[in-house]
Order: sequence, then structure tokens, then C-alpha cells
Amino acid sequence: MAVSDLPLLVRSWIGQAVVTVDHTVTVEKASWLSFCAAVQDGNPLYWDEAFAEAHTGSAIAPPAMLPSWGSAYDWFPGKEGDGLRPMELHFLLKEAFGYPNGIVTNVEIEYHEPVRAGDSVRVEQILRAVSDERLTRLGPGRDWTIDLIYRRQDQALFGRHSISFLAYGSAATHQEAS
Amino acid sequence: MTLQPAVHDRLPTRRIGVTTKSIIMGAATSRDWQPLHHDVVWAQSEGRLPNIIMNNYTQAGLISAYVTDWFGPAARLGRLRFSMRSPICPGDPLELSGVIQVVEPEADFLWVSLAIELAVAARIATTADVRIAVPAVGQSPSVWHRSGAAWRP
Repeated sequence: MAVSDLPLLVRSWIGQAVVTVDHTVTVEKASWLSFCAAVQDGNPLYWDEAFAEAHTGSAIAPPAMLPSWGSAYDWFPGKEGDGLRPMELHFLLKEAFGYPNGIVTNVEIEYHEPVRAGDSVRVEQILRAVSDERLTRLGPGRDWTIDLIYRRQDQALFGRHSISFLAYGSAATHQEAS
Repeated sequence: MTLQPAVHDRLPTRRIGVTTKSIIMGAATSRDWQPLHHDVVWAQSEGRLPNIIMNNYTQAGLISAYVTDWFGPAARLGRLRFSMRSPICPGDPLELSGVIQVVEPEADFLWVSLAIELAVAARIATTADVRIAVPAVGQSPSVWHRSGAAWRP
């Protein structure tokens, strides 16, 4: 990656945990069963305590929900300002470069220890790479990849998550896709 | 469920009628409040999209359910990688299909790699690669007991 045109601030973020989301949400069975209902996932590991006991000790949350446990409540008592936005580091990068638009292009998730009711996670958002500016069919833009490391409250690795974005455009249009 | 998964085995196609309700349910329950997943006016005016679109968390959930419904709940998802090529909107007749590409024995279980497609008619919306651990035989120890260095997804 060429870094010659990167602002010093952004260059200093590469390889660093720029944003940390620290145990803001408690994993709850009713929450994950609502997600199961949305995607019609009847896996008994998520629904049936007796079945889950033999495999996982107790019911677990669907691994596919991994990113959700790192998203803070949209409102909470005492909240001031906007708080941390989901994928805050992505928004910090957009603001640093002045791109109003961003789309997710690729996602990769590696699943490790499961989470159960009562667990919570700490998430570090690390900037892996930023491209030079290039002309895309949507206008001038850059690609960047953010790595997220999720750990439970007992420090066990819950998962690794990488998201690649294309951010682009002028201030005249706004588009945000996830 | 295939008892002995083999390369080139195809999973049965799953058809899902995507609705406004299902997209909003998926976004809300995955804690994703970006307006393009629930606000059609915003999606069309600001997002320049045809309608609200399914979020990537919901797509991950659909892919996970599709694969574990086939291999059974004893199977354990190890890795999911996907690329979103075009949006999935209300009214889309979504079809999930999958084919086994690699089967690798490890200890007392198998690593199975699959290529998954989410298509709307002839349009490919999302492509995915899934790596999942499957017990080698019915009496194999649960793969869920593996952790640390014994779990390498």
C-alpha cells in the first residue's frame, strides 16, 4: 500500500486499535431468538437448553450475530451527543477524507468461542489498510479495511471480523450501505 | 444432512420471499439502525436505491441457517466470507444454493468448505465461502468442545 498521500493522522492509525467498544451490551436469549425468528433459524443450540447442554453446555447465541454484540444501544440513560456509531472507525475515516458515501464490499468473519446469556464483549477496531485515492465509477474514492477483534469478559477470543469498504463521492450525495 | 459430505455435493436450493417486514426484522434484531434498512424514503432519495435493502448481518444469518440446517446442529461454523454484489430488496424472490468444494479430515471431524450463492432470478446478489466443522461420524465427540489451539477455523 502506498501511504504517500495519507494524512499523518490516518497514517498513525494503521495497525492501531483506534476505537474500542467495551462491554456495552449484555448478550440475551430473547434478543438472539428475535434474530433467529427474522432469519428463520431453528437450530436447537439456540432454542433448546436440554439439547444444547450436550454440545455447548447451555444455549448459545447464533455465531452469525457476532457483530451485533459490539453495537451499543441507540439510546441509554445519560447518553450525551451521538455516542459511538456502529463501525465508528469507518465514520472517522470518512470524515478525515471528506467522503460522504460508503459501501461495504467484502466481509470475513472467523468464529471462535460462543457467547451465552449474560456474556458481553470487548471489541477493538483496528485500521488494517487504506488505499491511495482512485477514480471509481462513483467518483473519487478510497478502499479501506478494518479488522475487529472480539473478546468475551473472560478474555476468550469470540471472533475476528474484517470489513472492506469503498468510500467515495462529493458532498452533494449521501449513501451509506452495510 | 449428508452423512459423508463429498466434493461437488449440492445443497438443496432454499427459496425465500423477501419482504419489507423480513428486511426490517433482520436489521432491527441485528442492532443495525442504518436508515437504508428500514426507511424507504431515505433509501430512495438519499441512498439512490430502489427500496430498502437487506443488511449484511441478516445475510450472514441466512447463510448460517442454510448451512447448519443441512449439516445439522452438531456442525460448527468456522469461517464466513462474503461479497455483496447487488442489493436484496422487498419483493425479491431470493434463492440460496451451495456446493461443497473441499472436504478435509482433521482429528475426529471434517472441515467442509462450500461456495454459496444468493441469487434473485438470474442476478447474483451475494457470493459466499463457508468453512464448517462437521463430526466425521455420528458418534464423534462434539466439535463444540474444541477451543484454543484445537480450534483453527
